[in-house]
Amino acid sequence: MASELTLSVNGAKHQVSVAPETPLLFVLRNELKVTSPHLGCGMAQCGACAVLLDGEEVRTCITPVSFAVGKQVTTIEGLPAVWAEKKGLNAADAAKTLHPIQQAWIDEQVPQCGYCQSGMMIAAAQLLAKNPNPTVAQIKDAFTNTPPSPHLCRCGTYAAIIDAVQRAAQAMKA
Amino acid sequence: MTVKTQTRNDSLVAMTVTRRGFVKMGGALFVSLYIPGTFTAKAAESQASLDPTLLASWLEIRSDNTMVVRTGRTETGTGMSAYYAQAIAEELEVRPETISLILGDTDRTPDGGFSAGFLTGMSNVRKVAAYTRQALLGLAATHLGVPVSGLSVTDGLVSGGGQSISYGKLVERQQLDLRIPVEGKQAKPDPNGWVGMTSLDGFTVTGDPPMKPVSEFKVIGKSYAVPSIADKVRGQTQWSCDVALPGMLHARMVRPATLGSTLVSIGDVDKKQFPTAEVVKKGNLVAVVSPNEWEAISAARALATGTKWTDWAGLPGSENLTKALRDYDWGAPAESKGKADEVNAALASASKTISATYEQPYVRHAPIGPFVAVADVRSDGSTTVWTHSAQSQGLRARIAFVLGVPVEKVVVRWLEYSGQYGRTTLGGDGAEGDAVILSQLTGKPVRVQWTMQEDMAWSTVSPGWVADLKAAMDANGHLTAVHSASYSPHMFDPRPLGALLAGMPCSTSKPGNWIATEWHYEKIQRLEEVYGMPNLAADSASGGLRGNIMRTPGQRQQNFALEGLINEAAAAAKADPVQFRIDHTTDQRLIDILNATAKAAGWEKRPSPHRGARKTGSSAVNGRGVCIMVRSNAYWVGIAEVAVTPARAAVQVTKFTIGAECGKVINPRQLDRCMKSGVVMGLSEALKEEVTFDKEKVTSTNWSRYKILTMGEMPEIKVVQISRDDKGFGGGSEAANAIVPPAVAAAIFDATGVQPRRIPLTPAYVTRLLKG
Repeated sequence: MASELTLSVNGAKHQVSVAPETPLLFVLRNELKVTSPHLGCGMAQCGACAVLLDGEEVRTCITPVSFAVGKQVTTIEGLPAVWAEKKGLNAADAAKTLHPIQQAWIDEQVPQCGYCQSGMMIAAAQLLAKNPNPTVAQIKDAFTNTPPSPHLCRCGTYAAIIDAVQRAAQAMKA
Repeated sequence: MTVKTQTRNDSLVAMTVTRRGFVKMGGALFVSLYIPGTFTAKAAESQASLDPTLLASWLEIRSDNTMVVRTGRTETGTGMSAYYAQAIAEELEVRPETISLILGDTDRTPDGGFSAGFLTGMSNVRKVAAYTRQALLGLAATHLGVPVSGLSVTDGLVSGGGQSISYGKLVERQQLDLRIPVEGKQAKPDPNGWVGMTSLDGFTVTGDPPMKPVSEFKVIGKSYAVPSIADKVRGQTQWSCDVALPGMLHARMVRPATLGSTLVSIGDVDKKQFPTAEVVKKGNLVAVVSPNEWEAISAARALATGTKWTDWAGLPGSENLTKALRDYDWGAPAESKGKADEVNAALASASKTISATYEQPYVRHAPIGPFVAVADVRSDGSTTVWTHSAQSQGLRARIAFVLGVPVEKVVVRWLEYSGQYGRTTLGGDGAEGDAVILSQLTGKPVRVQWTMQEDMAWSTVSPGWVADLKAAMDANGHLTAVHSASYSPHMFDPRPLGALLAGMPCSTSKPGNWIATEWHYEKIQRLEEVYGMPNLAADSASGGLRGNIMRTPGQRQQNFALEGLINEAAAAAKADPVQFRIDHTTDQRLIDILNATAKAAGWEKRPSPHRGARKTGSSAVNGRGVCIMVRSNAYWVGIAEVAVTPARAAVQVTKFTIGAECGKVINPRQLDRCMKSGVVMGLSEALKEEVTFDKEKVTSTNWSRYKILTMGEMPEIKVVQISRDDKGFGGGSEAANAIVPPAVAAAIFDATGVQPRRIPLTPAYVTRLLKG
């Protein structure tokens, strides 16, 4: 049965009427039209649905929406605002600013099909928050061995992701 | 930058240009680009296809000097949309950023055809641009009072006689009445045609318009960005999974218990628990629909537990695949190339012969996003399908055949989605069959989202195969002849699963096989033969284990065996494997990229296996291996370096150097990305991938059972590109995956002295190999 829940997504509060066990993924996509998290495996094995929940990566395909109540959900749609706030940008500058991770993903032309890349950028955000200057080995380790599963890219863009994470790390230090 | 036009023949097209007012086409002259966030409830209002002989069907110039270009080809993630824009911009002397592309919509694009046929797709838009340029210069000559030969173009601005005018102003409130010469046919169902279609090639723009010589290229050869990437990174792309229509139902399928089961009885859906869920059934097609996606998912799970299916066990089991293939009565070859008499004579008189059998299991495309489609079938039969199929026109024809309506009744709209890697290239497979049937049955738009487990169990697969090879060597250690015979189940069966299970008509193709290798060892006589058979369990209710093409089809399989044999022959001749290849070809392009790649890899010339090779021991032993491939006017070289730990049968690829010469490189950075990512997919195939099945069903149905390469397993990848101005364009996006397995196998031979003749190179197989 549906419950009235309040979600905080990318800095905005939303009221939704959904069954509390509904995976957060479907609420974001269908109720809130926040569509960057993608359905992949549906069992937390691939990372295509990843978002940040209070700064920690979660897989929304297996996370009940009720678990997100009272926490901050951040998707790649919300990354520019995170960066603007961190840098203290005014509204006009914020509107035309991308998060350095996103800019690096464009500069390095990372996505091929791009379906997994929202989750990849979320994983990068979590990594760089904890390790602002990761080595190639640390990047590989983070994208492969962080629970619950490796972030998988079937197009094979791993080399470009590593380049982009390092580029973003440089930009975020500047 | 300015390019003078004197070097071109100005008169071919310009004289045919007239001007006239707006022509209504598809409802408007300037068809608006796709607007995010809205989906027209019914695109099938004007179902007529665009007339491919009208310029406006291909290209519009707007008064602000921007352009809209239409092509029925699609972007598969390899950057083709950038290459199209670059080719058009090159001919028209505009910036690629001023060009917007409409891709793949059957009602808004003229040509269709394979996404895989990138080269013809680019040739089409390049020729259209060249014709248009001539027409525009004719208009400008009249407008400026300057002969065409006195005009120059910079960034869409035509100048001459001290004046200038933009393309946009030249055509403002006008339309160029320019006829584009084309040949070809629109895809239509034809049960007797190849893959059940009249044609999947689409239209080809013909004629020989004056085009810019390679030496004058300013846009082609530069690393432009792929247009769609920025929106993907911002989260602003509208993917095919995002389509939401008013009144749309979400569907989840309940699939049969086995590949061959038929429905016995259907379970119940508790209306108290799932008030909006409805069960929909046709034949063996069972689904639950609901306006709420989670309710559809939950109710489908509940329904599945109470639904009964017949028992069935008609598969051989993947561990028995090779035996099952060996047991089949293959009959005559489906295709044969080469000289049988010469090859047989060479084998009979050889100083030394080598025989080897190579094999590979079923593998699959395995995108990160499972199939999804939305369909709206109206009571008058008009149908719109929103999809990511790489072959919209082919899909349109296939769907029309399923529904029994003329193709004119069906519109396919294309949107970006997870990569397809060939599985939708023939215009089939996918969720579209389910979606149109459910929409027809419910009278509402229906969105069908497969689950990953369902996709890995029910989508088409790249068939396993075996290949028997024989080689003849002379007394000097030269390879004089090769005979290869390759055996494989059907590789062209893209029938939509939904239609098969519902018992609706499915146009398909006859089982066969074809020779994909391009022979580049002119000094070796060859006889290549390929044999085909139907799908495994072809008679079952679902059509069996449906085979389909997958990235670098045919050559991925055949080249693995052929290059393995070349390595074995090089070793028998005690020759360096790079030099051995050079010694058996006269093709300088191949020799050049081989030498360049070997140099970049630090290749030392010596025979394999190396002196310290061993099959035992708990410490790692290193090896290196090489292979080549030629495909679509592109020359490929792969050099793998591995560390094998025999005691653990562990293979670690430590470095991979990949070289490509594909004529004129259009976009070096995108080619670099495609080469590196192709190596990742190739390593995945070499080391990990295998579709497993028992006697009833596919069992490798999630990522822990169908393993693909992770970032942590990726080695250092080094890229070598050679760009040539004198050999046209080649296909650089696809084939990198196929040069990886033979190189890795050769490197394991170098390290251990044992030649792998099978992939994937799992610890279980390597254990058998080293003990054998």
